[in-house]
Parts: sequence; structure tokens; C-alpha cells
Amino acid sequence: MTQHYRVSHRTTYSYDDDVSDSLGIAYLVPRDLAWQKVVSQEISIDPEPGDRSSDVDYYGNTVTYFQVTEPHRVLSIHGLSEVEVFAPVYDEAALAQPWEQARPAERPDVPDAWQALDLTLPSPLVPLVPGAHEYAAASLTPGRPVGEALTDLMHRIHAEFTYDKTATTVTSTIDDVLGTRAGVCQDFAQLTLSCLRSHGLAARYVSGYLATTPPPGKERIVGADATHAWAAVWIPGESTGGGWLAIDPTNDQWANDRYVTVAWGRDYGDVPPVKGVIFTEAKKSTLRVEVDVAPV
Amino acid sequence: MTALRAYAARVNQPTLTPDGPSGTVLAGTYDEVIAPDGTLRPGWAGIAENAVQLTDEELRRVRGDVERFLADDGVTYTPARDGSDAEPWRLDPFPLILSAEEWSPLETGLAQRVELLNALLVDLYGPQTLLSRGIVPPAVVFGHSGFLRVAARASARTDRPLLFAATDLGRNADGDWVVAADRAQAPSGVGYAMENRRVISRVLPDLYRRAGLHRMAPFFQALRSTLIEAAPEDRPNPRVVVLSPGSHSETAYDQAFVASSLGFPLVEGSDLTMRDGAVWMRVFGRLERVDVILRRVDAAWSDALELRKDSQLGVAGLSEAVRRGTVRVVNGLGAGVLENPALLPYLSQACEVLLDEPLRLPSVQTWWAGDPVGREVVLDRIDELVVRTIDGADVVSAAGEQTPGLRERVLASPHRFVAQEPLALSQAPAVGADGLAPHPVTLRAFTLRHGSGYRPMVGGLASVYADGRPAASKDVWVIKDVPDALDQGVAELLPMTHAREPEALVPRVVEDLFWFGRYSERAEDLLRLILTAHAGAQDFRSRPHSVGGAALAVLMDAIASLAGRVDSDDHDEVFRAVLLEPRRRGGVAQSLASLRRSAQSVRDQLSSDTWHALGDVDRAVGQLRAYRYSHQIAESSGRMLTGVLALQGVTANMMRDPGWHMLEAGRLVERSLQLAQLLRATAVVRRGIDVDREVHTAVLTISESVVTHRRRYRGYVRLRGVLDLLLLDPDNPRSVAFALARLGEHLAAMPGSTGSSRPERLLADLRDELAAVDVAELAVAEGERRVHLEQFLDIFVDRMSRFATAVGEVHFAAPPVPRVFGFATVQE
Repeated sequence: MTQHYRVSHRTTYSYDDDVSDSLGIAYLVPRDLAWQKVVSQEISIDPEPGDRSSDVDYYGNTVTYFQVTEPHRVLSIHGLSEVEVFAPVYDEAALAQPWEQARPAERPDVPDAWQALDLTLPSPLVPLVPGAHEYAAASLTPGRPVGEALTDLMHRIHAEFTYDKTATTVTSTIDDVLGTRAGVCQDFAQLTLSCLRSHGLAARYVSGYLATTPPPGKERIVGADATHAWAAVWIPGESTGGGWLAIDPTNDQWANDRYVTVAWGRDYGDVPPVKGVIFTEAKKSTLRVEVDVAPV
Repeated sequence: MTALRAYAARVNQPTLTPDGPSGTVLAGTYDEVIAPDGTLRPGWAGIAENAVQLTDEELRRVRGDVERFLADDGVTYTPARDGSDAEPWRLDPFPLILSAEEWSPLETGLAQRVELLNALLVDLYGPQTLLSRGIVPPAVVFGHSGFLRVAARASARTDRPLLFAATDLGRNADGDWVVAADRAQAPSGVGYAMENRRVISRVLPDLYRRAGLHRMAPFFQALRSTLIEAAPEDRPNPRVVVLSPGSHSETAYDQAFVASSLGFPLVEGSDLTMRDGAVWMRVFGRLERVDVILRRVDAAWSDALELRKDSQLGVAGLSEAVRRGTVRVVNGLGAGVLENPALLPYLSQACEVLLDEPLRLPSVQTWWAGDPVGREVVLDRIDELVVRTIDGADVVSAAGEQTPGLRERVLASPHRFVAQEPLALSQAPAVGADGLAPHPVTLRAFTLRHGSGYRPMVGGLASVYADGRPAASKDVWVIKDVPDALDQGVAELLPMTHAREPEALVPRVVEDLFWFGRYSERAEDLLRLILTAHAGAQDFRSRPHSVGGAALAVLMDAIASLAGRVDSDDHDEVFRAVLLEPRRRGGVAQSLASLRRSAQSVRDQLSSDTWHALGDVDRAVGQLRAYRYSHQIAESSGRMLTGVLALQGVTANMMRDPGWHMLEAGRLVERSLQLAQLLRATAVVRRGIDVDREVHTAVLTISESVVTHRRRYRGYVRLRGVLDLLLLDPDNPRSVAFALARLGEHLAAMPGSTGSSRPERLLADLRDELAAVDVAELAVAEGERRVHLEQFLDIFVDRMSRFATAVGEVHFAAPPVPRVFGFATVQE
């Protein structure tokens, strides 16, 4: 089945004093993929940047650079895109192989294994901590089919960790999340990465959106959606080289046609929706994020 | 016996006791000077006669000369520890000498190696064939912090990312050179090498002349033209800058030296800004495009937008500008990946693949623990090898050292560790307390892309070690095979054609020059006060109730009002405290330290005579610390004053650019403030005719106006005359009126002045205020106090301070500090 969405993602910064110069980077353009087609996309920035450009980064994501040099107290970055998402088709045989066989270091026979090695290593926000290694070991039992092992890990994180926006901050570490057993999707995704990489599997951080369904009988509330993050794991296939299984521990499911993929990288730091540097005397800034994923 | 003969005897008869003197020779060590048969190495042939005649005593004298020259040039090095102060650069007088035959294979090896590193860089940031073919294990690169993904995009590709590299080498027992490390991020040392040469050629002139060695200057010319040619193609007349992390950085001297010898401005991150996808330098209210950045800031710190977001050392947006090709950064931002020691085991094969030739210069034997075979060696021999992380400069565990928990650390993240054989080093003589003693020596070589190839500097920077630590640097002499061989093997380039005048001053530099002026004046004025007070103390300290004693007390109060009260009745203690205590606000030591800091920040703007003058001041301070006699206070203060005054001679020769105008403005602001405060402390209270006369005379002396006054008033000292001379006389260079008139001229010369800018308005008010002054009225006392004078001085100090602030705001306002936004939480 094909789903068609219009995604609106608006980030607004307000400052208590003039900002004379503001440089930013945005990852807001969804990727064109075998299971996702970008019909249209546009990023509008207010005030209008004096300079902007678009580039493809190391991981193939589209990244937008901008600089606003007219003094402003409010900066808004609005990404608007339309995408078609198809239900993913998985290679059952590949998912049935023992998980050990999905470690790129063990698979010199697979053409892109050398590239996948990048995602077996620790990254700035995903250190390979002993706690994560130990936690994952219960799911990654010897010889277990990789699809089953990953699903089991996803189930356990979903069951044993509480979704709690107050439990963590942007500076929380994997160890903090393991300690409090609570966090948000970004924490669960990065915990999953640490678990899998510490066993030699290649796993990437995926940033995007999840279309939500309103409770029965209720209207869909516009703007109540949020950005989302999950993990994708390298699974070497028979003929096609490595494929990737996307698992969402926050919602305890494999990614499906409700998931809009924007960008991926080693961790959140590679693909933040918006980041920037401002030059100002302002002391305070407030941030508002409005996301809407509307079925079309 | 002469020094070299004694050295030869020493190295050929090694002491057998293991705990002999520090220079004890290890069997099988290559000696750089003495061959095993006791003769001198070939490089020494031409100068053997002179060299052999040097005695220990002469060498000690030469060593003293070296120290003095380095101090005069203000050559420093700041150890990388937190909070370290700059230390004098250390240079051993005895050069490391290599013959043309010895040098030639090394030179070929260096050129090949850097060409290989360039090719490696192109591959790692482009097609990555070495990784896909497994010639370099991918995790070596992917797991290294120097591999910058923002520079690894198709948009960032260039075919010559490596323009300048350094190679650290040691020499084994067979006399063969082995590479210890490659430096590609932002190699330092070439400025120190040049400075070493400058000093050694002066202290050993005969040897230098006879040796027939390669001069260094052509290498600098080549470096300069390489940087200019590195500019983006569409940029005629390119602007090149040297980006420094600041005057507190480890090798600040080296950076400033390179900038000033190449004639490029030395800038800091805050001097640059991003506009329209390009990098610009702030120059007085306008922006000037920058085309090439020789960066001495590590890549991770050079862009707060895409790299370390907490860094203010770089330019936010720099990676974007580089990718768009609007600016060229040297070396490229991704070059740090080459410093990874885990690459060393794979270089030889990479050379076969990339250059299709065998690697000439071997690297120190290295094992990467990320490789199963390498890991086994690392773990088996962990205590006997040197263990390092792949991206830390420091050794984790030295050879022969047992480091608890090391094995576990390596096993926990094997790809982060390498182990290396200890580098075999040759030895060279260094001048010590008891003559020449052998010390281990390393060589840092520098290689430059010049034209289409790579050209090593014929020479370099050597270091000798004591107790495993660097003890001093050495000049490196490569002797020409024929006397008329081209220096550096390059035809003399055209006299340095200016790509662009290095005239552009950024606001930060102008601000430092302004403070240079203020601090030098502050030190000068207080030194004059101390000298006068000290003379009074010599005569009257034991007669406090005499007229002279009462006047002395007033001067001591004036000192206290300027530099804080000292808790002592002993006059000399007070003088010493004000002269020496580094943290005393307003004191001489503090002003001089601040003066030196300002000077260091604008080193490339100042003549080297500045350091000479400051060196004299330092020596006077040293004497004062060493000798506690009272007369030493006058002696040292006098010499400090001479040193500070010499700075005026130095700055008199500066270009009349905005920097000079602000330096002079700083002096004038400070002079009038100091004068007002001196009058405030001495003239407001009436103390009777005799004491007042004594005090006023002292004030005239301190203000360098006593001769004029005597001529004009025939020795008749009254406050009215004093005030007339010090406040209103337009021809007296020490007067307030003079200062205000000159300040007007300096301001008018500034690009930011409009005729009605705030500093100009405030200055006009000050001049009106002064014009309205009636000195007769000021001199009138009501009871014990001269209230009109008091009021006038208070208002003047306040307005002058506001004026100084306004000058700063208009002419060198710092841009707002960058802040990082973003990092919105992702949540569902």
C-alpha cells in the first residue's frame, strides 16, 4: 500500500534582543529512497536569508545552509514536503541468518560491508558502554536469527523503558538512560545503536516523522505531531548487498509506511533538524517546534 | 682540551657505570658529530678547524649570547598545560650539521612521503579505494576524530589538499632516518627554525660563514608564493591571512613570526566573519574578502556551526565556504586524519598502490590494535612498547612502563589504540654545565607543495632531550655540496611581490595597540613618581616632620592612590611592592605585564626592537628582585623607565596607520588621566606654603615640566603657574591642553570618525570645559581644600574615562559573541 503525506515542520526561535547575524544548518528535506518518493519539498526561512545553499552530505542526506544577516528577533524555518511511502519489503532469508553473520567485519564477501563498518564504531553521542553491551546480550544469543534477535531487543526496550519527556535532556548520556530506564525516542534510538554496535552490528540513527492516528472518534489535531527518531540495522542480503532493517523501539514496531525518513547518520549530532550559531547580545531565546504529518 | 675533543673522548669511551652522568652513551647509538673511528662526520669537514678550537668557556659565553638574543627578540613557547605562562624558547648553540650526501636521500624520502600523504588525503575524502580494497582498514579512518565528514562530501573535493606538512624523525644506530610522526593538521615550528637560524648566525658568525650552508629565506619565499597561488582561481590579487588561536596558544611566537615574515596579517577567529558564502575580514567598518587562510587552529575548533559548537577560535560557517570554493584553507580541514599513527603500518602498501613506487622513508614500527594480528602483538608486548591512542598526542604508556588497567582499556576499544617500538634516536652534543654532553636528538622537517611537486626545507628544527623531555631546540645546517649551489635548491624567486599590502588592521589589533599606548604611559608615569619619591625618601625618611618629610608623605599618598596602599611603614617596601607585585592593580608590574600581553597580541605589527626594550625592562626587574639595597630601587626604576621610553622610539617609526593613531591616543588618554590623578592626590589639600612648594616642585619633576617652569617663573613655584603649565599650556607636551589637541588629530585620522561621532563630541566637550578654566580660581583654597580644583579634576577624570570608552565602542567594538542555537529535542 502507498501512503501519501504532507509534512510541515516549523521551528521558531524568539530572542529578547536583536540578532544581527544568524547561520544555520537544517536537515528537513526527506530522502528519495526505494520505499519513499519525494513529490515536492520546500524550505522557507523568515527573515529571508541573504545566503542559502543546499548540498548532499557524507551520508547522502540533503542539507540546507543559510545565513540571515538582517537584524531579527524571530527566526522561523519551515520545511514543507510531500512524500509517498511504500510498505517495505524485507528479504526473509536475510532476516533468518544468524545475527553474527550480520556483522560487517565478518562479511568481507558483501560489497558494501567496508562502508557499514563506519556504523559499528562509537560516535560522539553513542559511546559503546558496557551496560548497553550487557543489555543487548540477552537478545543476541548465539546463532539466533537476526530479525528475531533485533525484534526481541526492540520489544525489551519498549517494555522495560518508560517514555518520559522529563526524564532526559539533550545532554543525557546512554548511561543516564540505562540508569533511569526512561527517555524519549532519541534516547531509545541511540541506546539501540549502542547495544548493537557494541556487538559488532552496523546501525544508523534515522531522523524523520511518524504519522499518527487520532483516537477513535476524535479529529486529527493539526500541529500535534513531532519529529521522530529510530534505528536501522545493516542486514547483508544474498545478491543485493546490505539492506537495512529499521526498528522503532519507542513504538515497538518495524518501520512501515507510516514512517517518513528525512536523514540518517551516526547519531543525532549528524542530522539535527535545525542547528545554528547566532551573533547577538540577547540573553534569552525560546524555541517552538510545530510538526504536522497530514495524510493526503 | 677543547670542547669537541673532550666530547669525542667522552663518546668513544662510554662510561661503564649505568648511573653515570646524564650524557652516558648507549652502545650502538649513532653520534651526529663523531664517527666511530673518532673523526668528525663529513658535514663538519669544512669547519672542523674552527669548530675544534671552541673551548667550554667560549661555548658558555655563546650560550649566554643565545639566551640574550632570544630574550631580546621576545621568543617564547607556552607549554600546553592549562594556565601555563609563556616560557623562554630554548636553543642550544651547537647546530645539527648534515652533509649534502646525508641530506639528499632524506630529502627525496620526505618529498615522496608528503606526496603520498596528499594522495592518501585525496583518496580518503574521495573515492576511498584504499578502504574498499582493505589496504587501509576502514575503521582506522572512520574511527579517527580527524576524519571530518563535513569535509568528506563530493562538494569539498580538491586534488591538492595538502600544501604544507611536517615530519618528525629519529635516526637509528645505522644512521638511517625513521619517521616518528606526520604533522598535517596545522604544522608548527617553521618560524622557530628561522629564528634559530637568525640567532645562531649571529652568535657563531665564523662557523656560519665558513660552513657554506643552505640559507632559509628562499624557502619562506616559496611558502609565500604557494599560499598566494592557493587562492581560488577567480581571485586576482588574493588576500592571505594567518589564523591564530590567540596570543596564549602554545606556539604564538611561531605564528606571529610566520605571519610577519610572509607579510600576511595575523588574525583571530573574531576578526573574520562569514557573508555570502565567503569569509571576510573586518577592517574598519568594511569587510574585506579573505582568499586563503593559513590555519593554526585545529580543524575541530575552526567552525562553530558544523564542528565543535563551543569554539570561538574559528569562523562559524568556514566549512561551507571551503565547500563552495570561495576560500582556501591550508591545510584542508580534513588533513588531521593523516596524523593518525594507526595509518603507519599501512603506508608502505598505500604507497605502492597510490604512487606505484616503494615507500622510501620507513616509519617507526607500529601495530594497530583494531587488527586481530596487530592486537595480539599489542597485548603480548604491552609493557615493552609505547602505547598511544590514535588521536591523542600523549603517550598512554611509555615503553617499559606497566600501566594498570591498560590491557582492559585496549580490549574495550581496540580500534582506538596503537603500540609502537620505542624510536631509536641518534645523539648530538649540547652545551651543558660541564661542556658538551651527548643528548638524544630528533629532527622536524618541513615540506611544501611548490609548483607541481613537493619540496622539503633544506634544514629544519632539531630538538635535544634530557630525561626523556625536550630540553632545547637546535638549528639544522645542511652543507652545500658545491659552494655555489642554489639555496634551498630553488632559484631566487622574484623579490616578494606584494599580493596585497599587509596594511589591513582588524579592530582587535587596533584595540591592543590602544592599550599598548595606555599601559606604557601608565608604567612610565608611575615610574617617574617612584623615582621622585625615592629621592625624597633618601633625604627625608628619617625626618618626617621636616618640610621635605611632609612632602614625601604626600607623594607616598599619591602612590597609594594610584597603585593601592601597601601595608608597610618602610618606604622601600612600598616602592618594591608597587614595582614588583604582579597582582597590584595600577602597579608598575601589572602595567608592564599588561603591556607585554598587548604587545604579544600584535607581535606582527611591532618592530623587534620592542622586545629588546622589554628585555631591558625585564633585566632591570630581575636585578631589583636580586638586590635588596635601597639604591637598587632607583637604579632599576631608572632602567625600567629607559626601557619604557625606548618603546616611544620604536613606535615613532611605525606607519601612520590607524593602529599608530590609536596607540598614540592611548598614551595621551592615559597621560592626562595620570596627571589629573596626581594633581588630585597632591594639590587639592593645602598644606602651607613651604610644603606646598615642595610638593608642587615634585609634581613638576614627575611631569617633566620642571625646566620649563623654572625658565618661565624663575624658580618661583606657585600653584597657579603650575596649573597653567600642566593644564592649559598648548605647547607643553605633558599638558592636558596638548593631549586634547593631539587626541583631536588622531581621532580625525580614524576611518570611523565622521566629525560628529560620539568620541569626537565628547572630546569637544572636554576641550570646552578646559577652555573655560580659570587657573586663578582653581588655585583658590577654601579653608584646607581647593574645592574648585577638586571638582574640576573629578569631572575631568570622569569625562576622560567616558571618552576612552567611547573610542573603544566606535573604533574597535568587538562583535557580539556567537551563541549556538538549535539542538531542539527530538521527541514523539
